[in-house]
Parts: sequence; structure tokens; C-alpha cells
Amino acid sequence: MTGELVLECRDLSIGYDKPILAHIDLQIAHGEIVVLLGGSGCGKSTLLRTIVGLLPPLAGEVRVFGQSMYGVSPEDRNRLLGRTGTAFQQDALFGAMTVEDNVALPLRELTQLPHAVICEMVRMRLAMVGLPGMERRMPAQISGGQRKRAALARASILDPELMFCDEPSAGLDPVVAAGIDAMILGFRKVLGTSLIVVTHELESIRAIADRAIMLAHGRIHAAGTIAELAASSDPEVFGFFHRVAESTAPPTGAASAAS
Amino acid sequence: MPPKATAIERDGRSAVVRLQGDLVVATAGSLYARLRGLARLRGVKTLVLDFTGAGRIDSAGAAVVALLGRQLRRSGKQLELRRQNDQHRAAIELTPALAPDVRRADAVAGVVERLGARVIETAGGLAAFGGLVVETLAQLTQVLARRKHIPAGSLRHHLELMGVDAIFIVSLLSFLTGMTMAFQGAVQLQRFGAGVFVADMIGMSMVRELVPLMTAVILTGRTGAAIAAELGTMQVRSEVDALSTMGINPVRFLIVPRIIAITAIGPALTLIGIFIGIMGGMMVAQVTLDMPAVTFWSRVVARVTLLDFAHGVGKSVVFAWIIGFVGSYLGLGASGDAGSVGRATTRTVVLSVFFIILVDAVFATIATFTRHR
Repeated sequence: MTGELVLECRDLSIGYDKPILAHIDLQIAHGEIVVLLGGSGCGKSTLLRTIVGLLPPLAGEVRVFGQSMYGVSPEDRNRLLGRTGTAFQQDALFGAMTVEDNVALPLRELTQLPHAVICEMVRMRLAMVGLPGMERRMPAQISGGQRKRAALARASILDPELMFCDEPSAGLDPVVAAGIDAMILGFRKVLGTSLIVVTHELESIRAIADRAIMLAHGRIHAAGTIAELAASSDPEVFGFFHRVAESTAPPTGAASAAS
Repeated sequence: MPPKATAIERDGRSAVVRLQGDLVVATAGSLYARLRGLARLRGVKTLVLDFTGAGRIDSAGAAVVALLGRQLRRSGKQLELRRQNDQHRAAIELTPALAPDVRRADAVAGVVERLGARVIETAGGLAAFGGLVVETLAQLTQVLARRKHIPAGSLRHHLELMGVDAIFIVSLLSFLTGMTMAFQGAVQLQRFGAGVFVADMIGMSMVRELVPLMTAVILTGRTGAAIAAELGTMQVRSEVDALSTMGINPVRFLIVPRIIAITAIGPALTLIGIFIGIMGGMMVAQVTLDMPAVTFWSRVVARVTLLDFAHGVGKSVVFAWIIGFVGSYLGLGASGDAGSVGRATTRTVVLSVFFIILVDAVFATIATFTRHR
């Protein structure tokens, strides 16, 4: 891996009462798109919560843009978070605000920009995510896919250098999911953003990921490019990439043949 | 690095701005203010932005350029961009050429249109409310005819929640109201040597007016709000849709038990309140007027007729329906977000109290009119 690091996790243990994941070492370079994958309940979203400052680690360190996320003052942490954007699994749009107000919120709270410029930025970003003219709608008045896109617009409105997306295309139809993949690639191309994306969707993983990190059994089970992982003969990795049910016997021979 | 819109050169009807430094969130506000001022000058027909010395542009910088371009076009002027590099072009291409200007479209809607939309919305709401009442009565008829049933235990649950738990507060407030009325009445009536009529006053006001109204207000705050909040939360969590998809009528399952319960509870609490309220008045009359309890009660019984009781209790039934139906309608109307449940609850209390007082006024008018005849 080359280039400036935007995120580094060192010997990280995370969880609530007891560790869900332990000894996590993770590095993300500038402009890189890394996918976190693994079975349900393996700790992907929990890892993301720790990285974005919502869940202190049990041990280890999270460094964003070279600075520690924990053990710093709230002001310093907020300054770091201001350079990142997070799109949550459940979109987390404020139901009592219009789409425009949701997307404009970081600009209104964190910048001194004039109202007209903020409105223009929101208009531009909503058009970029395929929601032109939706400014005045309430979140309840738009579809699930549109809410996901509005959430991505809000997460990206400050042109973050690093974005975290938790299952951005889960539960969406293939066309909308492909649109969200294109948006993620667009963020990197246009804004130069690095991204960590949590997803189960194989098509999305193949479309967007430079690297993938597979979590299983409380640790990083496998890591590499998509081609490397897809060719792996490891039963867990093979099962994930070739949609083999857990009860099926590990097809090591078949995996070797496939690779 | 703050941008410096330096070297503003005038070339006939053009103004050339040579941008310096980054056009980013931190600098876009001041840059926009300077460029907007320049764009408003009457002599300037074309504004030229020269990017030769410009640094990085982010979304805020791109938004300033896009906004300025649109403002100039509106006033018949032009914006020209010169010597952009690839990063500048990529950022500015974020501008949606075809994105509609929502703010302007909204501003076009006039007062008449907004008023018309409001009228249509209100009419639609009233029709939907009427539909819910009709559907509830139809389902209630089916339940009473034993052709359909309500969920086991739901009626008892609602009776306890709406009624038993409210007895104490209704009794306390009725007692205090009776005492207050007696104190006020005794002082005034004694001045005319008519203190004995305090029993008549307490009896009539408690039975016909005060207790039915006060009980309805308490029921609105306790029960109406609870109905709206419960049904609203169920609607937001798609539980009502789940009932429908299972082929279970949500009105029969959710609203009928509540309407039956509140129809029984409203008059029951009113009767309890009437008795306790009169007791409060009687105690004050004993203390302040030395009026024996027997005398007090004999005057109440002589003055208050069965028709007065029918008036008070009849009103309490109508009030209970108002509370039940308004709470149910607004609760089921909640959608999408947690805020809508809060709004449904607040509107239930406000609208129920409004309609209760309105209906009370209608009852009073009718009663007065028929007596005069």
C-alpha cells in the first residue's frame, strides 16, 4: 500500500462488554476504497462505530489523518470528524426536516457560508446523487433508495476526505444499488474521497472495491484485492464469494480449480 | 489561504476577476459577497473569472460559480470562465445544469392557490374522518351482533387503562371544583340571604355542566393523547399495515375496543365525578352555612331532575366519542417519523378540547331554546 494514510487502526479490540473483534490492524490510503465484509453479526458495523468515534475501543488505537480519534478533546475530535462523512445503515435522516434541511445541516452548523451558497450546494449535491427537485420533500415522502441517497448527500456535503458508508445499497433493487455504487466511485473521482464501505452485496463489492477486508471469528480473516479474495481457497472466503451455504462442505478442491 | 479576487479589470462592459488562492468552504462566503457586488453593477454586462492563479476548488467554490452564473443570466448578463485546470473543471461540473429551481417554483404559488389547497386538504381530512367513523360503527355493529369479535382481553385492558386508573384524578378534581363552587356561591348568595340555594347551584352546575366538561378534558389529556400516541407509533412501525396484510381489519382490531371502552368510561367517570363534586360542595355548605347534609341533599334531589342527568351524561357520551374518534383518526394518520406521532398527540388534545367546547355550547343553546318554548 502506498500513499498518505487517512486511517490507521493499530491492534484494535472492540466490543461492548467483551471483545467482538480483536487485534485489528487496518490501514487506508488516500483515495482508496476499502470494503469491509463478513457474515451478519461479525462486527463490521461495530468496527465502523469505533472508527467514527461512537464506541471507544477496548484496546488499541484509531488514527484518522494521523491523529488519534480517542483520548483527544471533544473539539479536536469534532475537527477530525469534520473532515469525514458517515452514512448510516438506517439512513438516519431527521424525519422532522425536509431533505434540503437534512443535507444542509452540516453546512449550517459547521460553516459560515451565506444562505444562498448553502442552498446552491445542496441543490448541486442532490442533483449529483440523482435527487433533483426533492429539496422540499420530507424523508417520509421519498422511497428507501432515495433516503439512502439523501443520506449520502448529507454525508458528502462538506467534501469529506474520508467517508464511511454502512451498507449503502442493502435492500435496494439492482438498478438503484448500481446507481449508489456509481455515486461512491464518483465521490472518489470528483472529490478525491477515500471510502470505507460495509456491504454484503457481491455486485457492489466487485464494482467499487480496491481492497476488501473480511471479518470472521473475531478478527480479520482475510484481506486483499477482490481478485485475490475471489480466488481464495479458504472455505469462509470461498463461501462468501461463491454464495455457498454454511452447511455445505468446504469445497477446497473446487476452489482451487476455480482459481 | 483566503482567496483574493485581485486585479479586477474593467474592459468596456466586462469585468475581469483574476482569482487567487483556494475557493473552498472557508473562503467561499467572502468571495461570493465580492463577486455578487460586482455582478450587480449596471455597467458590467459580462463577468469574467480568470482561474490562472486559483488554487483548489471544492463544492462551496463550485456553488459560488454556479450561483453567480444563474444570477447574471437572470439579469441578462453573462459569466465567462477562463483558464481553468482539470480540477477546476471537475469541481464546476458538479453543477446540475437541469436541476429545477424549487424555491422559485414555490414562490409562484399565490395566496388563492395556497388557500384552495388548504380547503381541499381540510375537506379531504373531514371526508376521511367521516369514513373512519362510518367504518368503526359498521365494525362495531358486527361485533355487537357477534358476527365478528375484538381481540380477547383488549376491552378489559382499555377499561382499566382509561377508567380505573383515572378515577382518582377525576374524583379529586371534582371534589375540589365542588368545594370551590360552594365557597364562591355561599359568599355571594349569603349577601342576599339566599345561602340555602347553594345546594341547588352545586347540584345543577355539577350535573349539567362542570363535571361532564372537566371529565372530558381530563380524558382528552390522558386517554385521547394515549390513543393517538399508541396508534401513531403502530402506524410508524408498520404494525397497522401488518394487520391489513394479514387480512385483519385494523379498525375492528384497534379502534372498536377503544371506542367501546371510552363510551362506557366517559359517563361512568362523569357519574362518579358528579357524586364526589356534590359531596365537596356539601362539606363546604356544612362548614360555612351550617347547612345539615340532609337539607343539602334534599334540595339537590328536589332541584336536579332526571332530564338534567340525561343532559350531563348524554353530553359525556358525545365527548367520549369525540376524544376516541379524533385520537384514533390522528393516530392512524401519523406516518414516517417519530415527530409525526408527537404532532398527532398534540393535535388530538387541541382538536378534542375545541370540539368538546363547541359541542358543549351547542348543547347549552339547544337546552336553553327548548326550555324557553
